[in-house]
Amino acid sequence: MLVRTHLWGQFMRESWLSARSAVALGGLLLAGVAAAARPDFTGVWGVYREPGAAAPQRGAPQPALPLKPEAKAKIDAYHALVDKSGDTPGGFCLGTGMPGSMLGSGGYPMEIVQHDKMLVVVYEAHTEVRHIYLGERAKEQDLFPDRNGYSFGRWEGDKLIVETTHLKEAVDQARYPHSDQAKIVEEYRLVSNDDGSKVLIANMTLTDPAFYTQPIKSEKKWQYQPGVRLLPYECTEPAWEAHLEELANKKGAH
Amino acid sequence: MTKSLLALLYAAALTPPALAHHSAARFDLTIRDHTVTGIVKEFHPANPHTKIVLEIADDKGKRDVEFEGHSLNNYYRAGWREGMVKLGDKITLYAAPTKDGTDGGYALEVVAADGTRF
Repeated sequence: MLVRTHLWGQFMRESWLSARSAVALGGLLLAGVAAAARPDFTGVWGVYREPGAAAPQRGAPQPALPLKPEAKAKIDAYHALVDKSGDTPGGFCLGTGMPGSMLGSGGYPMEIVQHDKMLVVVYEAHTEVRHIYLGERAKEQDLFPDRNGYSFGRWEGDKLIVETTHLKEAVDQARYPHSDQAKIVEEYRLVSNDDGSKVLIANMTLTDPAFYTQPIKSEKKWQYQPGVRLLPYECTEPAWEAHLEELANKKGAH
Repeated sequence: MTKSLLALLYAAALTPPALAHHSAARFDLTIRDHTVTGIVKEFHPANPHTKIVLEIADDKGKRDVEFEGHSLNNYYRAGWREGMVKLGDKITLYAAPTKDGTDGGYALEVVAADGTRF
């Protein structure tokens, strides 16, 4: 059970108070203290499960979404195509995309590598990679739509706030389909279990005036997994091998 | 070339290779205690799903049956390691059967020839 703010939070607050008193010493010193107070999300994180909780049931019913009629029509049309066969993007080696990637990524672990000006998040499933930029924001004309969008973040105390835009319309998102107008805000903070193990909590707000009548909120918890390594997730090799075999068969036929 | 032939070729061009197409929708995943034993003819741990072909002999006769299984990564984390399953091994699958009763299934768990389970 999560009962207390992680020691990092306490450390950060104390550091912040120290930093306030140190303002007179100069901005550079303040910046250095604030940076040192940030929690470190670096590491491999797996799906968090409350102690004693049963494994989640696959395909369990979910609450209805506040969809606009035209959005619902698009999503229904998509499901009319794929539900009978059960086809999914992942079955065709396509990455999950936001917000599915940050909300679980198929139950596979993720790895975060934290730098001062950027965090790199690698989701094991389909080796999806997100870059969360903290420094200079890319120019608007240099961005284009993507399944994981463009993510720009900032630290607010011990919380990391990430805004993701430039998403492709994705009716194939398993839980939260969205349009290309969607904006996703994530708020990450570190807490600790009674046993001292680290838990990363991500609160997500999806705002999409084209698809939804109100913002969508969701929470995801990740458990720190020291010693676990992220595995490669090669997915398209069988298709390549099949193609080579097809070419060989054609060549043999001539 | 007729319009219908053009349409057929267009559709074929949009169709991804068969091996890239995976779906668990045709399996009854609520049945988790159904076992199948056979001789390994193919064992391809892969993502997103593993391909297993067993030679099975039962009252329907001797034949090769293809099963789909968890991803390579999930089998790895459950204990599978390279060389653990070899061609010719006699293994058992806990396999969710197909919904329509045809041959095949989804390998929820594998019991290797030496008894290792993953």
